Amino acid sequence: MVISLIIGALMIGSVYGMLALGYSLIYSASGLMTFTQGQLLMIGAFLGMQFYKVWGLPFLAAFLLTVLIMFLFGMLLEKCLIRVLLNKGAVSIYIVLSTIGISIILPNLAQALWGSQTIQVPSIFGVTTVKILGVSVQPESLLVIAVGLIAMVLLHLFMTKSRFGISMRAAAMDPLAASSLGINVSLTTGLTWAIAAALAGGIGVLLGPVYGVSTGMGDIIGNKGFAGAVIGGYGNMYGAIAGSLLLGFVETFVAGYITTTYKDFVSFFLLIIVMIFLPRGLFKAKVYDSD
Amino acid sequence: MQQTRKKTILKAAVCLVLLAAALIGLRNQQYLLTLLNFVCMYMISVSGLDILFGYSGQISLGHAAFYASGAYTSALLTTKLGVPVWLAIPAACLVSLALGIIVALPASKLIHHFLALLTISVGQLVYILISRASFTNAMTGIRSIPNIPLFGYELKSKYFFLIFMILMVALFLIIKQCIIHSRVGRAFQAIRENPVAAGGIGINVQKYKIMAFAISAVYTGFAGAMYAHFVGFISPETFTSAQSVMFMTMLLFGGMGSFSGPLIGAAIVTFLNETLQVLGSYRMMVYGAFILAVLLFLPHGISGLIDIVKQSLFKNRGKEDRHADA
Repeated sequence: MVISLIIGALMIGSVYGMLALGYSLIYSASGLMTFTQGQLLMIGAFLGMQFYKVWGLPFLAAFLLTVLIMFLFGMLLEKCLIRVLLNKGAVSIYIVLSTIGISIILPNLAQALWGSQTIQVPSIFGVTTVKILGVSVQPESLLVIAVGLIAMVLLHLFMTKSRFGISMRAAAMDPLAASSLGINVSLTTGLTWAIAAALAGGIGVLLGPVYGVSTGMGDIIGNKGFAGAVIGGYGNMYGAIAGSLLLGFVETFVAGYITTTYKDFVSFFLLIIVMIFLPRGLFKAKVYDSD
Repeated sequence: MQQTRKKTILKAAVCLVLLAAALIGLRNQQYLLTLLNFVCMYMISVSGLDILFGYSGQISLGHAAFYASGAYTSALLTTKLGVPVWLAIPAACLVSLALGIIVALPASKLIHHFLALLTISVGQLVYILISRASFTNAMTGIRSIPNIPLFGYELKSKYFFLIFMILMVALFLIIKQCIIHSRVGRAFQAIRENPVAAGGIGINVQKYKIMAFAISAVYTGFAGAMYAHFVGFISPETFTSAQSVMFMTMLLFGGMGSFSGPLIGAAIVTFLNETLQVLGSYRMMVYGAFILAVLLFLPHGISGLIDIVKQSLFKNRGKEDRHADA
């Protein structure tokens, strides 16, 4: 019981973590917020389903193709909407509202393309369950954890070791100074939206075989990922992962031992408690109005 | 000064006559009357949201929570405890007020993106509560909520309910204008423009933010109670986050921080909503497109557009005058 719960918690925690990473990246790079991550995950899941189940591509190809498309989609979103609004001098709350507008449109788009039924995706591996420490686990949930881990490590290396990642962090810290040093700030912020979309879409593809694909799958997950980012300290990449894992554990264990009916109630309540008593999260973020 | 006052009185009189004529004409149009009742409810709740977002600059994407608290309080009190309707409605407003204050206590410290998330979470919490708890009958909802009695006569006909609602809209709008033009309203606007500067000139920012939330919650809670008594049946499906988004769409589309904005937004979006029934669940897409269109092309909504048209008309007239002089 405990071990299967832990694996479940790690899995859902990594899912939230991937979304939270996207939220944090965008926030730390441009000080903007997005509410689209959950819906991008949903779109990613549908794209993956289309490539893998309908067109019969190998899973790896479907996964990479989806990540690439979502990457371009994120770039497009930033160029065609966010940048346009920013150039018009829109205040940050308008950006938030515009991402909410997008996140309303995307599920309807998916419904128009793929219908409103939940679509089951065949298992990636030949086996339906594997035994770990005496409990049977879906191999896909292990894959989610592994991919989450790999993505985190890669992103960490990219941000700290690569030239481009360092210039991204510089642009986030002081856009004016960075652009005077020859860094293309517009490109780096565009890239953060692209990476965030790719992370969400990639994890969506992996979730397909676990939960099935439906237009509503992103609603709650998106908000939970946001909650994970807030709990960890908004804008802090490592905090986002820690907060998401914490949320995953609390949620899974509450569902396992106390109540499944009020599982989501507990997660949102935890979020509100954190916002009231620890508004900077576990890793200190700027949230107050008058900072 | 006298002339402008005369003009406004004349305008008001014309509006009243038109309204009365429209009401007499609509007497037997049951479907239209239902819609107009909804428009009135939305006008009240969106005006409440306007006080919060349009005037004091605090976003709320969870106003369905207050709508729900008003509707459920009134419905539960009248059906389960047999409280008279005229006591249940103030009670509904009080519960919404209390909820507003509880939400505002932490919310008043947060910057807007976090505020957006907090209010979304509150909306989710209330929805989960009413859709799972046994005292609200979970997903089945509450049936046979009594209608509003007035002078010993129940407002069973939609026609009389509409007249009552129009009076209520007028009452709440007058209160809104009084608040906006008072010291409190000016404090709200100062906080909207710059909270730090507002604090600097001695405005208790947190107090006024909580006040804005509380007032807004009462407006929306009252509208929720009206909804419950008008329809006679409530279920959790009405109080999802889609409802909150709809309130926000109405406000953005009509124009924030204005007298007419919420009224125009509520009316247009309600009627569009009905004509778009054929689209089924794709209606939400229209809301999304509306939000984007407003943000991209109409930052002050329809009422802003009307102002621009008016201004350009006056400008043209001014030019003609000048030509005449020359």
